[in-house]
Amino acid sequence: MNETDAERQRRFNELFRARRGDVVAFCGWRADTASDAQDALAEVFLIAWRRLDEVPDGDAARVWLYATARRVIANQRRSRRRRSALRDRLAIQPDGGSAEVFAPGSPEAIVHAALRRLRPADREVLLLAEWENLTPAQIGEVVGCLAVTARGRLHRARFRFRVEFEELQSRGRAARGAHGTHGAQTEGEDDHAHVERTSRAQARQPAF
Amino acid sequence: MPTSNALRELRRANPRSDPDFDRSLEATDDLANRIVRSSPVLPGDATRPRSPGRALGMRGRAPVRVGSAVLVAAAIVAAFVIVGRPGAGGIKSASAAVVQAAEATADSASSSGTATVAMTHDGEAWTHKTVQWDGTDLDVVDSSQGRQGNRELLVVDGVMYGQDPNGRWLTLGSPDSIDPGTGTTPDDYLAITHADVSGATLSQIVAGMTDLTTEQRDDGSTVYRGSVPAGLVATKDGFKEGESIRVFPFGYVAHDQAADPAALLDASITVGSDGLISELAVRWGEGGSAWTYTVTYTNLGSTGPIKAPDNAQPFPRRSP
Repeated sequence: MNETDAERQRRFNELFRARRGDVVAFCGWRADTASDAQDALAEVFLIAWRRLDEVPDGDAARVWLYATARRVIANQRRSRRRRSALRDRLAIQPDGGSAEVFAPGSPEAIVHAALRRLRPADREVLLLAEWENLTPAQIGEVVGCLAVTARGRLHRARFRFRVEFEELQSRGRAARGAHGTHGAQTEGEDDHAHVERTSRAQARQPAF
Repeated sequence: MPTSNALRELRRANPRSDPDFDRSLEATDDLANRIVRSSPVLPGDATRPRSPGRALGMRGRAPVRVGSAVLVAAAIVAAFVIVGRPGAGGIKSASAAVVQAAEATADSASSSGTATVAMTHDGEAWTHKTVQWDGTDLDVVDSSQGRQGNRELLVVDGVMYGQDPNGRWLTLGSPDSIDPGTGTTPDDYLAITHADVSGATLSQIVAGMTDLTTEQRDDGSTVYRGSVPAGLVATKDGFKEGESIRVFPFGYVAHDQAADPAALLDASITVGSDGLISELAVRWGEGGSAWTYTVTYTNLGSTGPIKAPDNAQPFPRRSP
C-alpha cells in the first residue's frame, strides 16, 4: 500500500468511527427491515469509501451520509417492489417482521403509534430534526428541498405529531378509565388499543 | 415556546437511547476493514459524477464502472493467439476474432433475439431464465426450480401483462409504472441484452481474458477459452445481509470465488459457424462449490413476434 492509499484509508476509518453511529441510527428508523438497515449501512460506507474525496468535512459529512443513505434505502424499496411487483399489485401486504414490544400505554408506544399516523414526508423531516438534530437547512439538503420548505414541513410535522400524540394519549386514558385495564378488544376497539396492538405487532426495525 | 410533552417523549424515543443501540454499533466494528479489503478503489471511480443522487443510481453505477483499471491491465497482458477462422481469409488474433464476432452479433441482435441465462451449483440447476425480445416487446420467463414458467415480465405493444396466482392474465398497464433505476424495467432488460450481444459486455470480457486458447469444433463453431477477472463479468456490486456481493447480468448473485472481483474465473465464448456469438460461459470453484454461469443466445434477428395473452383481464383496482 502506498502512502496515498494509507492516508485515504486513515481518513475513511476516521469518518467511519465518527459517523457510523449516526448512520446506524438513521438507517435503523428509515429502512424497512433490520436486514435492509444493515445492508444500507454497508452500502453507504462503501460509497463513502469510493467517493471519499467528495465527502465534506465536519458536520456536513453527516448530512452527506444521510442523503446517501436515504437514496440507498429508496433503491432498496424500488428493488423490493421490482422483485415482487406482481405480488404487490395483488395487494399482498409486506410482513411486519419481528416484534419490538413496547409496554402497553407507555409513552414510547404512543410515540411510535403517533409517528405511524403521520404522512411519511412529515415523519421524515420530524425525525431528522428531533432524532438526528438537523437544522432545517440540513434537512433540506438531505431530502432535496429548500431550507425554507423544510422549515415549513417541520413546523407542520411537529404540529401534526403533537395532535396525534395527545389524541392517542387522551384516548388511552379514557380507555383505561372505562375498562380499568387494557383488555383485548378486537372489533370496535378504540384507536389507542389498536395502536398498542399495532406497536406490539410491528418491529422498531422496520420502524416506519 | 415551551417544548410540548409530545416532543419530549419523541426525543426520549430516539433509538440511540435504546440499550441495544451500542450492540448494533459493536456489530459494525469490522465493517470499515471489510469495505476496504473487498473494494479497492479503481482509477475509473474518480470519474464518477459528484452528486450523490446521480452517482447512486444503481442502474448507471455498475456497468459504467466495470473496473477500468483491471480491464486495462488485463488487456495489456492478454495473450494473443494466432488462429485462422473459417471464412476469415487470413490470420488474426483470437481477441480480434471474438470482437469481430461480437460486432456481427450486435447487428443481428439489434432487432430480436433470445437469451437463456442459467446457473448451476455443484452440478445441479440453480437458476434458469429466458429473455426474448422483438423490437421493444419483451418476454422474461423464470424457469428456475420451483418457479417453472413464472413470467417475470411480458410487454407487448407498450402494455405490460402479468399472471395472478390462479394463472389468469391481467393487463397491468404501461411499463412506465415500474420504477426506473431498479434494473428490471423493459428498457433495462433490453439494455442488458443489447449490451451483452452488442459487444459492450463481451468486448470487456474478451479484452480481460488471459491465457486465451481456441478450439475448433466439427460443427464449425469456435470456442475461445481463457481466464477473466470476476469483476469483468459480475460487474454490479453491493451488500446483501451484511456481506459484499457481486451480481451477474440479469440479476444473479455471484457466489463464492466470483464475489471477489480480482478472482480469475474460467471463461469461454462460443462463436457459431455463422460468425455470431452463441454462448458465454463462466465457471469457478470445485467440488461442492463448483458454479457455472451461462448465457446462450439463439435466434438472433429471427426470434418470432411476442404475442399478448388472450383474454387478459383489466387489473382490479385496490380499494383505498
